[in-house]
Amino acid sequence: MTPDVRFELLWPEFLVAGLAFLVFTLDFFVRPARKEVLAWVSAAGLAVIIAFTVPFLLNEHDSLFDGLYRVDSYALFFKVLSMGIGIAVILGSLHFVDRRLTHPGEYYAIIIVSVLAMMMMAASGELLTAYLSLELLSFCLYILSGFALQDRRSNEASVKYVLLGAFSSGLLLYGIVLLYGALGTTHFAGMAAALEGTGGVDGRLLVGLALVVAGLGFKLAAVPFHMWAPDVYQGAPMPITAYIAVGSKAAAFALALRLFYEALAPAYDEWQLLIAGMAALTMIFGNVVAIVQTNVKRMLAYSSVGQVGFLLMGIAALSPLASNALMVHLVGYSVTNFAVFFAITAFYNATGKDDIPDFAGLAGRAPFLAAAITVGLFSLAGLPFLAGFVTKFYLFSAAAAEGLLWLAGVAMVASLISLYYYLQLIRQMYIERAPEDEGGSVTVATPGVLAAVIGAMALGTVLLGVYPEPVLATIREATAALLDTGSAWPTLGSAGQ
Amino acid sequence: MMELAWLIPSLPAIAFAFMVTLGKRLPNWSAIAATGSIAVSFALFFFVFADWLGAKSFPHPENYTFVYSIDWLRAGDAILTWGMWIDPISLTMLGLVTAAALGIQVYSWSYMAHEPRFTWFFAVHSLFAASMLALVMADNLLLLYIAWELVGICSYLLIGFFYDRRSAAEAAKKAFITTRVGDVGLLIGILLLFVETGTFELSTIFAALAAGDLSEGIVTGAAVLMLLGAIGKSAQFPFHVWLPDAMEGPTPVSALVHSATMVVAGVYLVARIFPFFEASDTASLVLLSLGAVTAMGAAAMALVMTDIKRVLAYSTLTDLAFMMLALGAGSVTAGMFHLLLHGFAKATLFLGAGSVSHGSDKTDIRDMGGLRRVMPWTALAFGIGALSLGGLPPFGGFFSKDEVTLAVFLIEEPYRWIFLTVALTVGFMKALYMGRLFFSVFLGRLKPENEHAHEAGPAMLAPMLVFTTLGAVGGLLAFNWTDGYQGFGYFVFAGDHQEAFHPNWWIAAASAALAVAGFGITWLAYVTGSLRTDSIIAKVRPVHTLVANKFYVDEVYQWGIDQVMLRAGNAVAWVDRAFVNDIGVNGPGIVTEKSGTKLRLLQSGKIYNYALGMVLGFLAVAVAWWWAL
Repeated sequence: MTPDVRFELLWPEFLVAGLAFLVFTLDFFVRPARKEVLAWVSAAGLAVIIAFTVPFLLNEHDSLFDGLYRVDSYALFFKVLSMGIGIAVILGSLHFVDRRLTHPGEYYAIIIVSVLAMMMMAASGELLTAYLSLELLSFCLYILSGFALQDRRSNEASVKYVLLGAFSSGLLLYGIVLLYGALGTTHFAGMAAALEGTGGVDGRLLVGLALVVAGLGFKLAAVPFHMWAPDVYQGAPMPITAYIAVGSKAAAFALALRLFYEALAPAYDEWQLLIAGMAALTMIFGNVVAIVQTNVKRMLAYSSVGQVGFLLMGIAALSPLASNALMVHLVGYSVTNFAVFFAITAFYNATGKDDIPDFAGLAGRAPFLAAAITVGLFSLAGLPFLAGFVTKFYLFSAAAAEGLLWLAGVAMVASLISLYYYLQLIRQMYIERAPEDEGGSVTVATPGVLAAVIGAMALGTVLLGVYPEPVLATIREATAALLDTGSAWPTLGSAGQ
Repeated sequence: MMELAWLIPSLPAIAFAFMVTLGKRLPNWSAIAATGSIAVSFALFFFVFADWLGAKSFPHPENYTFVYSIDWLRAGDAILTWGMWIDPISLTMLGLVTAAALGIQVYSWSYMAHEPRFTWFFAVHSLFAASMLALVMADNLLLLYIAWELVGICSYLLIGFFYDRRSAAEAAKKAFITTRVGDVGLLIGILLLFVETGTFELSTIFAALAAGDLSEGIVTGAAVLMLLGAIGKSAQFPFHVWLPDAMEGPTPVSALVHSATMVVAGVYLVARIFPFFEASDTASLVLLSLGAVTAMGAAAMALVMTDIKRVLAYSTLTDLAFMMLALGAGSVTAGMFHLLLHGFAKATLFLGAGSVSHGSDKTDIRDMGGLRRVMPWTALAFGIGALSLGGLPPFGGFFSKDEVTLAVFLIEEPYRWIFLTVALTVGFMKALYMGRLFFSVFLGRLKPENEHAHEAGPAMLAPMLVFTTLGAVGGLLAFNWTDGYQGFGYFVFAGDHQEAFHPNWWIAAASAALAVAGFGITWLAYVTGSLRTDSIIAKVRPVHTLVANKFYVDEVYQWGIDQVMLRAGNAVAWVDRAFVNDIGVNGPGIVTEKSGTKLRLLQSGKIYNYALGMVLGFLAVAVAWWWAL
C-alpha cells in the first residue's frame, strides 16, 4: 500500500455514513408524532453533501488503496445520482411512512446507508470491494422490502429476496473465486492485463465468468435471473419498490459498466453476443409478460425487467457512445420511474388500491396524478419530447453503430409492445369511467411534498427529453474517466464522442 | 440584451402554458397573462434592437448578423443546435409580430369579451405569436420547421375557434391540410440540405452555398422544395384556396393571420433562404411566375367579392404575391418593406372590418354604405388603410408598392416587360378593389336598417388607430434621411449603399397615376353613381362568372379529392384491412398476448422454482458460451 493514501477524498462517503448515524441517533430523541423531522434531516443532509461533493471532487482523478477504490468523474457522476435518488425516495416516502409504516427513523437511516453502498459500488476498482458494497446495498434492501411488518406480502417479499439474494451472492462469490484462480488478481486493471495474456478462455475462466454474469444478472433482474423481481416489487412498500427499481439498478449498472468496460474488455469478442442475447431475451420476456398483468406494481416490475434489457444493450455495444447512452438512459429511467411510481404511491396512499382497473377515471379524480403517470409511461415507451425517446435513441444508435443492428430491431419491437400495456393503464385513466360505488367519484388528494416530488420528476422527464445536452456533457466526462482507467481496449472509435 | 432575445418568444409560450393549465382556475388572469407577456416581449424587442444597433458595425455588410446558439443534442457526429439568428430581417419581423400581436390582443379584450372560451382564445393566440417569433429567430432549419408547424397548428385551432359551426371546422381543416401539402416539400428540402451539408444550421449551409459545395441541381431543387412550403403558408397559387375560407375564424384572428403571422411566414422563409434564389435563376423564375399568376388572379377575385372580409382576404393574396414578385426579382428590401407596410395596413383594415361587423352585424358590402356617419373613427382608419394599400401617395403602401415595381423593373431581359406589366396592372387593380371596398362601405347613403350601427369602444379603436398611423407614415422609412439611415434597403443590408434609396421617378409617376385613376373610377362608380357597373359586368358576363366562382379552382380540387383521392384511399383501405390489419397487425398481437399468458405461468411464486431457474440460467449461459467458443 502506498503510504500516502489521500483519505480526504473519501469525505463524501464519511459524511453520508455520518448522516446515517445522526439519523439513527436523532430517532431516540424525536417524539413519535414528529418523526417527519427525520425525513427532512435526511433529505437536507444528502442535499448538502451533494453541494459539497460536486465542487470537492470535480477534477479529482485518483485511485486509493492500490486501485481498490476509484475517485474519478465516473464515480462522481454515480455518487451524485445515488444521492439524488436517495433524496427523491426519502421525500417521496414521507406520507407513505407516516400512514403505513412503523419505525420511520430506521427506515430513513437505512436508506442513507444504502445510498452509501451505491456510491461505493460505482467507485469499486476491484471485485471483492464491489462484492462487499453490493452486499451492503442488498442487506439494506432486504430490510426495507420487509418494512411493512403487518403486511404479509411484504414479509413474503423480504424472505424471498433474502433467500434468493443469498443464493445469487453465493454464485457471484464462487465466480469471483474462479476468476481469481484463473487470472491471479481481482483488480479490474490486473484482470484486463491477465486476460490479454491468456490468449483464450479456458473452462475455469468460463465458469467463473458465467457465475459472475448470473450473480450480477440477479441484481439487475435480467432474464433468466429476474424471477424474484415481480414478487418483491409487488410485496415491498411502494416507495421501496421504486427504490429497488431505480436505485439498485443504477448502482448495479455502475458496477457492471466498470467490470465489463475495464476488466473484461479484452475478452469482448467472447461475451458480446452473450450479453446481447441476454438483453434481447430480457426485453422481450419482460415486455411480453407485462401485457397480461392486472396489478400495476407487477406490471411495472415486468416493465422494469424489460428496461434492463434496453440497458444491457449499452454493455453489449461496448463503445464510448454506448457508455454515454447507458448512463443517460439510467438518468432518464430514474426520473421517469420515480414520476410514475410516486404518482401511483399517492394514489395508493389515498385509496389503498393498486390494481389496474382501480385507476379507471383517474383523469377526472386526480388530473395531476393522471398527467404525471401518462408523461412517465409515454417516456418509458420512448415517445418523442420525453426523456425516454432521447435516451433510447442514443442506446439504439449506439448498438446499431457497433453492428448490433438486430438487437436494435428487437429493442424497437419490445418498445412497441411496451406501448401497448402502458396505453392500457392510460386508457383506464382517461377513457374509462370511474366506478360509481365505493367512493370512485372522490377526488384523490395529493399532499404537497409528494406532489412537488412527482412534479419535479415529471418536469425532469420533459426537460431531459427536450434539452438533454447539459446532462450529456457531464456524462461524456464520466465516460472519459471510465475509459481512461481502462487499460486494454479493442479498437474502438475515439473516446468521448 | 441580444443574448436574451430568446425571451421574446418564450414569454408568450409561458403565458400559453399558464393559461392551459391554470386558466380555468384563474380566468381573470388569462388575458392579463397573454397581453402582459406579449407587451414585455414588445418592450424587449426595443432593447434587442438598440443592442443590435450598438453592436453591429455599419457599413460592413458581413458583420450584421448575430447568431447565438447552444448545443441541443449531440449524437455521434451530428450536432443539433438550438439558437437565434438576429439580423435586420428577423428584427423587422420581431417588431412587426410583437406589435401586431399586442395591438390585436388589446382589441380582442372587448371584441371577444362575451365568448365563453375567452381563455382558450388568448392561450392559442399567445402560442401563435410565440411560434411565429420563434420561427423568425430560428438559426437553423430544424427549429424553423418545428416553429413553422406550430404556427400551422395554432392557425388550425384559431380558424376553427367556432368549431361547432360546420363551415368553421371545414375551413380550419382546409387551411391545415392545404398548407401541410406544401410543408412536405419544405421538409424534403430541409432534409435534402441536411443530407448534402450534414447540418441544419443556416450559417453553415450558406457558407457551403457560397463556397460552391452544392451542385446547381441541389440548389435549385432545395430552393423550389422549400418554396413549396412558403407558397403553402403564404397561400400562393395553387395553394391559395385556404386563405379566403380562413375568414371563419374570429376577426382578430384574421387580422393576426393576415398581417404578421402565418401568411407572411412564407415570405419570410423566402427572404431568409434568399441566397438560394440568388444562386438559382430557375428558382427565381418559378417564384416570379407564381407571384405573377397569384397577383393577377387574386386581384381579379378581390374585384368581384362582396363579403368585406373576403375582399380583404383576396387583397392579402395579391399583396403576398407582390412580395413574392419582389423577392423573385431579387430584392429582399422591397419584399420586406412591403411585408412591413402591408402588415400595418392589413391589421388596420381587418380591425376596421371587425369593428364594422361588430357594430352593424353585417358582412356583405352590398348591405352597407354611408357607415361613416355612425362610425367616423372606424371610417377614418379604414379609409387611410385602404388608400395606403391601394397605393395612393403619400400613404405608406404607395412607397412599398413603388419599391416592388422598381425591383421588377430592374429584372433582366427577356422577362422584364412581362412582369413589369403585371406589376403595374395589379397596382391599378389594387386601387380599384380598395376604392370599391371603402367607398361602398363607408361613403354614399346610409341605409335605414344600418342606423342603429354604433362605433366601437376605445379598446378597439385605439389599436386600430395606432396601426393606421404606422401604416400612413411608414412610407417615410423609404427615404434617405441621414448618413446612418439611407433608406430601408440600407438598413436591411446593413449599410450596403447599393441598396440605399434610389427612386425612379418614371415608375413612381406611373404607379401613382394608375392608383389615382383606380380610385377615381371607383369614386365615379360607387359614390357619384355616374359610372354604371352593371353594364360593364353585363359585357364581360362569362369572365365575371369565372372570376366570381374563383376560377373553379376549389371545384377542381374537390373533384380531385372525391374522384381520385377517395377512390384510391378506399382501395388502399381495403388492402390495409384485409392484409395489414387482420394478418399483419392482429396476428402478432394475438401471438404476443398468448405468449404472455403462457410465460406468466413460469412465475409460480415458489422460491425453489426461482432458485432452480437461476441455476438453469447459469447453466444455459455457460453452455451457450462453451458452444460459442
